[in-house]
Amino acid sequence: MEKTPLISVRGLSKKFSRDIKYNMYYGLLDVVSGRKAANSSPERPALRKHEFWALDNIDLDLYSGEILSVVGANGSGKTTLMRLLSNVYPRDHGTIMGREGLRITAVFALNAGMQSLYTGRENIYIKGAMYGMNKEEIDRQLEFIDDFSELGKRLDTPFGNYSSGMKARLSYAIALATEPDVFIIDEALAVGDSAFKAKCFDNLREFVTHPAKGVIFVSNHINKVMKIATRTLVMREGQLIYNSTDIKEALEFYLNNSSDLLGSQKQQRKLKKIRDYEF
Amino acid sequence: MQKVTSASHELVELFPRGRSDNFLARSGWRRLGEYRFLIRQLVRINFNTEFKRSFIGLSWLLILPLLSVAIWILLNGAGIVDPGATAVPYPAYVLLSTSIWGFFADIYKNSSNLVTNYGRMLIMTPFPYGVLLAEQVVVHLIRFSIPFGLNLIVLLFFGVEFTWWALLFPLSLIPLLLLGLAIGLIVALLRIVAVDLSKLADEGIRLLMFLTPIVYTPKIELGWLSELVKINPLTYLVSFSRDLLTEGTFYAPVTYLAVSGFSLVFFALAVRIYAKSQPRILERLIAA
Repeated sequence: MEKTPLISVRGLSKKFSRDIKYNMYYGLLDVVSGRKAANSSPERPALRKHEFWALDNIDLDLYSGEILSVVGANGSGKTTLMRLLSNVYPRDHGTIMGREGLRITAVFALNAGMQSLYTGRENIYIKGAMYGMNKEEIDRQLEFIDDFSELGKRLDTPFGNYSSGMKARLSYAIALATEPDVFIIDEALAVGDSAFKAKCFDNLREFVTHPAKGVIFVSNHINKVMKIATRTLVMREGQLIYNSTDIKEALEFYLNNSSDLLGSQKQQRKLKKIRDYEF
Repeated sequence: MQKVTSASHELVELFPRGRSDNFLARSGWRRLGEYRFLIRQLVRINFNTEFKRSFIGLSWLLILPLLSVAIWILLNGAGIVDPGATAVPYPAYVLLSTSIWGFFADIYKNSSNLVTNYGRMLIMTPFPYGVLLAEQVVVHLIRFSIPFGLNLIVLLFFGVEFTWWALLFPLSLIPLLLLGLAIGLIVALLRIVAVDLSKLADEGIRLLMFLTPIVYTPKIELGWLSELVKINPLTYLVSFSRDLLTEGTFYAPVTYLAVSGFSLVFFALAVRIYAKSQPRILERLIAA
């Protein structure tokens, strides 16, 4: 039986300017001309001076039950793609389709919006509200967050005094409590202790067993991707250049095609990691 | 809306054009209600972050206006400024005028820094811009009312007698609020894409204070300066509210109404421009 995508992206394109002054100038032109958020014409707009395609004709489907990992060297467009999928940036061309009422929670930086002068508990309400939850919804999730973050009594001490691992635990738990259909995690699990990371991975695996749930996981950490991904996409210079459910193969492809960007020593070290990895 | 059928589920365009654009115009106020809790949280943060580590805390809201009044009284006493004839004692006049000016200048300052202050947060955790706008207005009103209560006491002390018309004073400030917000929202965009223009705007607002009867009266004779004061719309917005409170009279009511109407239209336009441009400006923010 053919599976139904949760999200289906076609021809998605996004352009940026390399030059700061031109970037401002085009921004001013957009304000003055009132350019709409998405380009409605069937043709992709042309590049202006100093512009480049940060995302170049991306086709992508995310299916229910998948943990889709996206890898690529720095500047390959991974985060830009995630920002378009979570409606932070407007697109320049293409379509982003999805199931009606699909709830997407994207985590770009775990601590964004958290207030260091406030206690962990107060921050649950602040960050929860930023995710669009009201007080009752947060009240209902409080026990789950408390339980998942394992902070105990420290939940009532200032967030600013937490270790980076504690911060990550709390922030991750709040994001999870929004009960998304699609959970986008962009390099956000780079911090935190290994026990917590293992707990997050177990949680993500369990998360996608529920009907109509999917995860997009952006990371260049070979071990993490090997551990958790069910499919891997490789990006390079704004394009999707590889797509495979064979994670090992996809990662090897990524490394073999990024030697100019990574440096050969780093590339060899990472390739060795893949070869030595045991499932 | 474009629809594609795939297997048993129907896919719809997730972020159709215009939905996020017209936040206030369309589903606006209802959605703002959904975010009421966030607005409350942001207001709390706004006050606490500033005062949580200060020993005298909110007292700053009273001390700062008193200090600025003291300076004007000193200047007046030294004979440096000749304000022209005022109906109420000069210190009371300046106290009230500066706080009305502050009502305009502060909302301009806050709203013009909306993208600079909150842009990165919006990129990490997107929520509707209307939430920030509402938060700014609520914070502004609270910040204004506290020292203003003190001002009223000082005015009584100086022998100002209030009439029933004074009750309309808060309403008379609305056009000033809308005008400050409107200019602020446009400048908020310019701060990211046209830094020079935003600096000019800041200086312009500062200059406007001297072209508005704040430390002198509208009747003052200063030659060409008087002409500039006359064509400055803020002269009417500030003087109308001030005279309403202290004398129970209407200062140039027709011009006041005309300027109020203009402020309302300008505000509606500015919100529209801001709504349309914010996504385009946010992407410039990170790239810059």
